[in-house]
Amino acid sequence: MFPTSFGPWLDYTINGLVIGNIYALLAVGLALIFGVSHLINFAHGSVYMVGAYIGWLGITKLNLPLPVTFAAVAVGCGLLGAVIERVGLRPLRNAPRIAPLLATIGLSVVLDQSAQLLFSPDPRALPTQLPSWRIAIGGGSIGALDLLIAGVGIGSAALLYGFLRFTRLGWAVRATALDRDAAQQCGVDVDKVNRTVFAIASALGGVSGLLVGMYYNTIDPNMGFQAGLKGIVAQLIGGVGNVPGAIAGSLLLGLIESYGIALFGTSYRNLFAFVALILILVLRPNGLFAKARRLPPEPLTGTFIAPSRPLVLPGWLIGLLIVAALALPFAVQQPYLLQTLGNAWLYALLALSLTLVAGTVGQVSLGHAGLLAIGAYASALLALDAGIPVLLAVPLAGVIAAALGTALVFPAFRLRGHYVSIATLAVGEIVTLVILNWESLTRGPIGVTGVPPLSVAGTPLVSGQWVYWIPLVVLLVFAGVQTRLLSSHLGRTLRAIREDDVAARSYGVDLNRYKGLAFAVAGFVAGVGGALMAHFYSYINHETFPAPVSMLALTMVILGGLGNVAGAVLGAVVLVGLPELFRAAAEYRMLIYGVVLLLLIRFRPQGLLGTV
Amino acid sequence: MLDVIARSAALVAGTLAVLTALGVAQPARSQTAADPTKEPVVIGVSGPLTGAYAQYGAQWQRGFDLALEQVNASGGVQGRPLRVQFEDSQSDPKQTVAIARKFVADSRIVAELGDFTSAASMAASPIYQNAGLVQFGFTNSHPDFTKTGDFIWSNALNQAEEMPVLADYAVSALGGKRIALLFINNDWGRTSKDLFTKAAKERGAEVVGAEGYLADEKDFRSALVRVRDTKPDGIALISYYADGAQITRQLREAGLSQPVVAAGSVYSPKFLELGGAAVEGVHTTTPFFPGDPRPEVQTFVSAYTAKHGIDPDAYSSRAYDALLLLATVIRQSGPDRKAIRDGLATVKDAPSVVYGTVRFDPQTRRVDKPFSTRLVVKNGAFALWQPGSTDAAKAAN
Amino acid sequence: MTTASTTSTPTSTPSASVAPLLSIAGLVRRFGGLTAVNGLSLSLADGELVSVIGPNGAGKTTLFNLITGLDTPDVGSVAFAGQDVTGFAAERLAGLGLARTFQHGRVFGNLSVLDNVLVGAHTRLRAVRPPLGLPLLGPLAELGLALLPPAAVRAEEERLRAEATEIIALFGDRLTPRLDKPAHSLSYANRRRVEIARALALKPRLLLLDEPTAGMNPTETAEMLEIIRGLKGRGLTILLIEHKLDLVMQLSDRVVVMDHGARIAEGLPSAVATDPAVIEAYLGHKAVGAANQDDAAAVVPTKRGIGE
Repeated sequence: MFPTSFGPWLDYTINGLVIGNIYALLAVGLALIFGVSHLINFAHGSVYMVGAYIGWLGITKLNLPLPVTFAAVAVGCGLLGAVIERVGLRPLRNAPRIAPLLATIGLSVVLDQSAQLLFSPDPRALPTQLPSWRIAIGGGSIGALDLLIAGVGIGSAALLYGFLRFTRLGWAVRATALDRDAAQQCGVDVDKVNRTVFAIASALGGVSGLLVGMYYNTIDPNMGFQAGLKGIVAQLIGGVGNVPGAIAGSLLLGLIESYGIALFGTSYRNLFAFVALILILVLRPNGLFAKARRLPPEPLTGTFIAPSRPLVLPGWLIGLLIVAALALPFAVQQPYLLQTLGNAWLYALLALSLTLVAGTVGQVSLGHAGLLAIGAYASALLALDAGIPVLLAVPLAGVIAAALGTALVFPAFRLRGHYVSIATLAVGEIVTLVILNWESLTRGPIGVTGVPPLSVAGTPLVSGQWVYWIPLVVLLVFAGVQTRLLSSHLGRTLRAIREDDVAARSYGVDLNRYKGLAFAVAGFVAGVGGALMAHFYSYINHETFPAPVSMLALTMVILGGLGNVAGAVLGAVVLVGLPELFRAAAEYRMLIYGVVLLLLIRFRPQGLLGTV
Repeated sequence: MLDVIARSAALVAGTLAVLTALGVAQPARSQTAADPTKEPVVIGVSGPLTGAYAQYGAQWQRGFDLALEQVNASGGVQGRPLRVQFEDSQSDPKQTVAIARKFVADSRIVAELGDFTSAASMAASPIYQNAGLVQFGFTNSHPDFTKTGDFIWSNALNQAEEMPVLADYAVSALGGKRIALLFINNDWGRTSKDLFTKAAKERGAEVVGAEGYLADEKDFRSALVRVRDTKPDGIALISYYADGAQITRQLREAGLSQPVVAAGSVYSPKFLELGGAAVEGVHTTTPFFPGDPRPEVQTFVSAYTAKHGIDPDAYSSRAYDALLLLATVIRQSGPDRKAIRDGLATVKDAPSVVYGTVRFDPQTRRVDKPFSTRLVVKNGAFALWQPGSTDAAKAAN
Repeated sequence: MTTASTTSTPTSTPSASVAPLLSIAGLVRRFGGLTAVNGLSLSLADGELVSVIGPNGAGKTTLFNLITGLDTPDVGSVAFAGQDVTGFAAERLAGLGLARTFQHGRVFGNLSVLDNVLVGAHTRLRAVRPPLGLPLLGPLAELGLALLPPAAVRAEEERLRAEATEIIALFGDRLTPRLDKPAHSLSYANRRRVEIARALALKPRLLLLDEPTAGMNPTETAEMLEIIRGLKGRGLTILLIEHKLDLVMQLSDRVVVMDHGARIAEGLPSAVATDPAVIEAYLGHKAVGAANQDDAAAVVPTKRGIGE
């Protein structure tokens, strides 16, 4: 039917559009929520999963007709959306802007874990009741479900457009999106608007879950995370908060991925997608379909980091705690406890690093695990392939992580707010995918085996005590350095960037220079942390530092208090310790963890020790 | 529906119970009488009960439950009850190392099973090795898994054995000459890909294309365009069951009708459920097959189905098998950490559902020569493959 | 169109023979269909205080943004101290001695009052920021010197702190007792004072004040007037945006009136105040005679437009 030279490209195009079509379902809801509440809703993927399960109950257990099932999914997820708004957003209105984002992460943990407990973690089939005819196009074909998905995507976008343009509530939604404070002053019930938007977006998200579940004939409790991530990427490409842009962005993302596969191979798919995202963010920071440049309006009240009064620990108490921590192995010989605390010290290095960039400079990084991975691989490969002694390889790995990390994030320096987070998330994914694909250097998916342990004079330091002491001493040194840094002129300069980068520039602060400095210091600390992990673990691969580690690190930082050195350590101890403490609860422990996280954000959004 | 409601209730009750229990410190441990000859023999399990890999941990759990029930019904090991302490690791390295320290320090634990992913399992290996506690990785196929030391053992399928068998099936039995390969891009898939390519070449076939995909991939349409354009006459899958089912569905939709040969890890009732009509005619090899007439297999299958109400799959059968194997070794050599290590080296022809009988190569600490059965999906079920039988996919080709 | 315009400029400039400190020529800035600044020219001599007035949305703040490098003009040029600085980044202009305050106040909320003012002195850090001129070594040296400060760095920090405290003392006991309080805990008026203190810490050659008395009561306004008068007395060159005409009339050497992005009048305060075009554009039908009362601001709508 088509000439062969042209055929494959037509097929890649069709396939790209088909998958983009699926991304669009989620991206539209995310765009709507972001447009109104300026929140990247990480729970959206979980709503999508819940929708799939409600649909599964309707189809396979209750044998409902398909339209009734769709209605049930829409209503159920709409209600869930309203609940998310009530629990995750409204009580945090005056909290730091990052708190609602973290609340949505907590909610997503709770929803995913509940689904896992209710429906078991096994994937389930979700048979479609649609006719099975297919239309051949080029070398492939599209079926009834593809058309239905496209119809739902475009139809819901059209409905949304009508709602926003022609109804009173829609008018209120648009007013709120433009200027929340002003809308409120004009008598718009902002809470009602938010609730409505969450309900609509979630109903749409739930229906998407059902459709995609039927599409792949598979649903599982973890299906939301990856799908949500792709939705976020797609809507960023189109321009956040822009519904038609989200659809265009989704189709574009589908095409980018499909052409990426065509050109480089299947395992380059996400690499291609994330590199494209970074390029778009850097070249068109407001998305491809955004309007012309305009200065951000001057802030009337408040800034990104809400005011807080940090809890200052007295010096003698800190000294006492340090001495107690150092002496602990003499008093307690339980290797399990020491290992857990040793893990906490290692993660505290990560949190320390992140609290500097996310807390002090306000550049909230969602890809910090990438720095661990760079440090770990650098140290492991230096020790194994270059024959450098481990004790030298570790600091060298820190330098490499500092240099490489800063260089990778550099293009994102010109971005602000949530864009920085998404760009760093993409950088984190890129690091993982490069590790996976650059086989000649990193050994690809096989990973690096036989990483030598830390040793002194030929004696390996692998016992429970050393696993505790080494990270603790490194942590104390870096915490001391960071405290010193914060009390120097750099401390106020970096915090000034966080508080108001425009004002900081107006007083001669070169943003690139100081962001670069902060990322270099952070990269060094995290890189050393990753290197230590590599030598303790003896084996690392691309899955050793997955994306959830970045989320965990951010949770630690926010829990402890943004920019707060002691807070970062406390956050790490709490969040490494809690899952161990809840170990008796077996399958329930992550659920408990999610609930505890939500409670902490709800009642102490500025963190346990407060923002510095 | 009812079971969902029941589980909702259990969820709420469970959460409350756990929260109360947390207030009451550690669960009772030293309440049992201190008679050492009656104390249970404990095997530690480190595996994912929550997180991204939870489904595999749940399958393990079903296999362990059945094995424990059977061992303890027949008098336990050396007159003592056998117990499993399953610690959820989420297959997260920082948790597996903590669990390892916990197990190593707990003198009641005589051996360890798991973890699931290589990254998680191998991070803990040095701790087990240094402490002299056997780490028995029954699903760890990483080629270097057992190389950490003499306490690290595995009865996972050795790809160096499995891939030639699979290649044999694809090339010699089904007559493929130009084979396209899709593999999951992790240590297992990557190693298998190389071994399969080599084995296929030795048998006179060519691997015309190899596409590595990421573990959480769901859309294979564009990958399949690449596969199609290599003009293969056979397709091999190095996949787990969920992704294997997905690929098969999409390749049939894309009009690719070549015979499909999949690695044994697709062997699961879920493969049939998720793949639906599309997986009809897919070939696979498995060491374990419920239709196998061997009595131990038949006992296992009927007991498993009676207990859990579903057919066993590859992971639950391996978990069952691993625990029974350790029970056998403990019976022979005694509930002592070092004795178990030595016992594994010498155990001969231990009964095994998965392998028939098992013996280890003491040098590599892996299983010697596992056997396998050729299967094909027929009428929505795995069936023994008969050479020359009408093969739907092949006929269409 | 205007009467009291350019012809009167040279006479009112104190030192007309010297090249102007700031000179702006034909500045244009468009936002979509809206032209915020439309061919504006303006010059400022050393030691002069010029006020820019005009109704909301006249483009005054956009003008400030263009001068200070936060925004770049579509057409036109800006020269500062004889150097063409069009398109220079804000941080570079600050280094040349340009300091500004912001219309709505942009203090660093979680920084103490003292730290806010010290950030103002950032461009004056020498010992801790050795001008190496190398892309990588410079920042690394700064990091090292900050972590292990030699005597020179410590002395510099001490000197700047003392100086900052002195600047803060300009505002009497409005700020001094609150030296270590975070800026977000201050009253609106005090935040404006912190901004001015921060700007003074830069030791500016040109100070741009964007509505320094917004939100202040008459007493506070009078106090601010005295402070600005004092600054002027010390020879500081000031460009002022202000709505309170009384203050403008008392302080300015010259007044520029803007409307729709263009200059509609310029001249001595007294001349501008009676210019009918100004009255028409700025005050509507109200007489200017009332301007010598403190509540002159009441004439001006307080709600600010978004495009300003």
